[in-house]
Amino acid sequence: MSSLRNALPRRAHKERAQPQSRKKFGLLEKHKDYVIRAKAYHKKEESIRRLKEKAAFRNPDEFYFKMIKTKTVDGVHRLEGEANKYTQEELMLMKTQDIGYVLQKLQSERNKIEKLTTMLHSLDNNPSSRHVYFAEDREEAKEIKSQSGRKDALPDFDDIPDHIKRKTAASYRELEGRKKRVQELEKLYMDMSLHKELQKKGRKRKLREEEIVCPTSKAVYKWRSERKR
Amino acid sequence: MRPPRGRGGGGGFRGGRGDGGGRGRGGGRGGGGGRGGGSAMRGRGGGRGGGRGGGRGRGGGGMKGGSKVVVEPHRHEGVFIAKGKEDALVTKNLVAGEAVYNEKRISVQNEDGTKVEYRIWNPFRSKLAAAVLGGVDNIWIKPGARVLYLGAASGTTVSHVSDIVGPNGVVYAVEFSHRSGRDLVNMAKKRTNVIPIIEDARHPAKYRMLVGMVDVIFSDVAQPDQARILALNASYFLKAGGHFVISIKANCIDSTVPAEAVFQSEVKKLQQDQFKPFEQVTLEPFERDHACVVGGYRMPKKQKA
Repeated sequence: MSSLRNALPRRAHKERAQPQSRKKFGLLEKHKDYVIRAKAYHKKEESIRRLKEKAAFRNPDEFYFKMIKTKTVDGVHRLEGEANKYTQEELMLMKTQDIGYVLQKLQSERNKIEKLTTMLHSLDNNPSSRHVYFAEDREEAKEIKSQSGRKDALPDFDDIPDHIKRKTAASYRELEGRKKRVQELEKLYMDMSLHKELQKKGRKRKLREEEIVCPTSKAVYKWRSERKR
Repeated sequence: MRPPRGRGGGGGFRGGRGDGGGRGRGGGRGGGGGRGGGSAMRGRGGGRGGGRGGGRGRGGGGMKGGSKVVVEPHRHEGVFIAKGKEDALVTKNLVAGEAVYNEKRISVQNEDGTKVEYRIWNPFRSKLAAAVLGGVDNIWIKPGARVLYLGAASGTTVSHVSDIVGPNGVVYAVEFSHRSGRDLVNMAKKRTNVIPIIEDARHPAKYRMLVGMVDVIFSDVAQPDQARILALNASYFLKAGGHFVISIKANCIDSTVPAEAVFQSEVKKLQQDQFKPFEQVTLEPFERDHACVVGGYRMPKKQKA
C-alpha cells in the first residue's frame, strides 16, 4: 500500500530560505544548525572552565624537567629538539636510500634521453662536423669550392602537414626538458653524495677561500690522507 | 526451448567492435589525391610493432589526412628521412617486421595501399649514419651496389647497408670476432644479400673464394694498420675506379698526437696505396675524434684539356 503512495507524485518539500532583505546575515540557521553550534560552544566553554579551575588550584612548587627543556616561541609551544631522534646509523641509511632513489631516477632519465636521441637527429640543423675536400691541383680545388655549398641542402620539407611539424617540435621539446632534468638531478646527486661523505668518519676540513685552487661558489672539503691497510 | 541468449548477443557485439577497430580514420578525412609532391610517401607510423599497425591502417587510399609520419628520400639513394614524432634517418627494411638491434621501425602506407616499413638508423651506433648526417657528399653505397664491409661487428650497420643496396646488391661482411660474428650470422640468415665472413681482414686470401669484385669497400676496423688492411682488401676485391669509405678513430691509431694530425697521416698512407681521397668529415656530435674519409681507388687519369 505504501509503495503505491510513493508512486504518486507529491509536492516537493521546500525549506524556508533567508529572506532577500536579511541576505547579509548569511544562510538562515535552522534548529539542527543551532544544536551543532551550541554544542561546540558549550564544549569550549567547559574546557576553558576546566583550565581555569586547574590554574586556580595550581601547586606553585610543582616542577617538571619538561618545563625547562621546552619553551614557547612567539606564543607557540615548541617541543623538545628532534635532532637526536635518529641515531647516526639510521640517518646514514636514510640518506643512502634517498641517494639511491635520485640515482635511479637519473639513470631512467638518461635512458629516456638515449632513446629519444636515437630517433631525433636534428636533420634541419647544419652539421657541426668539419668537412674537408681533397684536391690534386688548383683547378680542382676551385671546382670543388664552387660546387660545395649547394650540395648540402636536404630535400625540402615544405609540404609537411602542420600536425607532423608540431609532433616533431614536441619531441625536441621533450628531449630538451629531459636533458635539463638530468642536469638538475646530477647536481642534486652530487650534493647528496657530498653530504653523505661528510657524515662518514675520517678527518676533513672545509678549505678557506684562498686555499681553493679552482674557484667555485660551493664549499670545498679536504680529507686528511689516511693510510689504508 | 529458449534461444541461447549469450550467443546472439555476443555475435552482435563482436560485429560492432570490428567496426570500431577500423575506425576509418583516413576514410573520414577522405580526399586522398592532390596534396604534396609525387615523390613523397606518407602514411601512418605503425610505431614499434609491425603487428600493431596491421589493424589500424585499413582506410584504403585516403590515408593522407591521418598520416603520422612523412618519409622522403634523402640526397643519398636508398636512404630516407622520416618526419613525425621522430626526425630521423631511416632505411627501407628489407625484411619487414624484423628489427635487428631493437631499433624503432616505422611503417608507412603508400597511395596505392601497399605498406613499406622503415628502420631508424641510429647515428650513435653507426659511423656511416653519422657520416651521412655529417653531410658527406657521396657514400657510393647505393641500390644494387656490391659492398665489402670490413669490421662488421654485430651487423647493425651491415643491416642498414643491406637495406640500402637492396635485393640486387650484395654485402660481404667480414668480422674476426666469433662472439659478435654470431650475431652477424644470425642477422645474415634473414637477409639474403648479406654474406657473413668470420675471418681476419688482414688475410683477404683466406676469403678470396667467397668474395667477388666489389664496387665499394667500407672499412671500420679501428686498428693501427687499418690503411694497410684496406689496401690489401682493395687489391684483391675492389674494382678499378671503385670507391672506399673508411672510418678512422684517432685514438686507435695514435692517442698521443691530436686527432687532426692522425687523420692527415692516414690520408697520406691511403694516397700511397693508389687511393684517391675525395673528402673527409668528422663525426662530431656522434663520435669523438672520429673521421670518415671517402675516395676512389685506381681512378682513371683525368684528361688534360
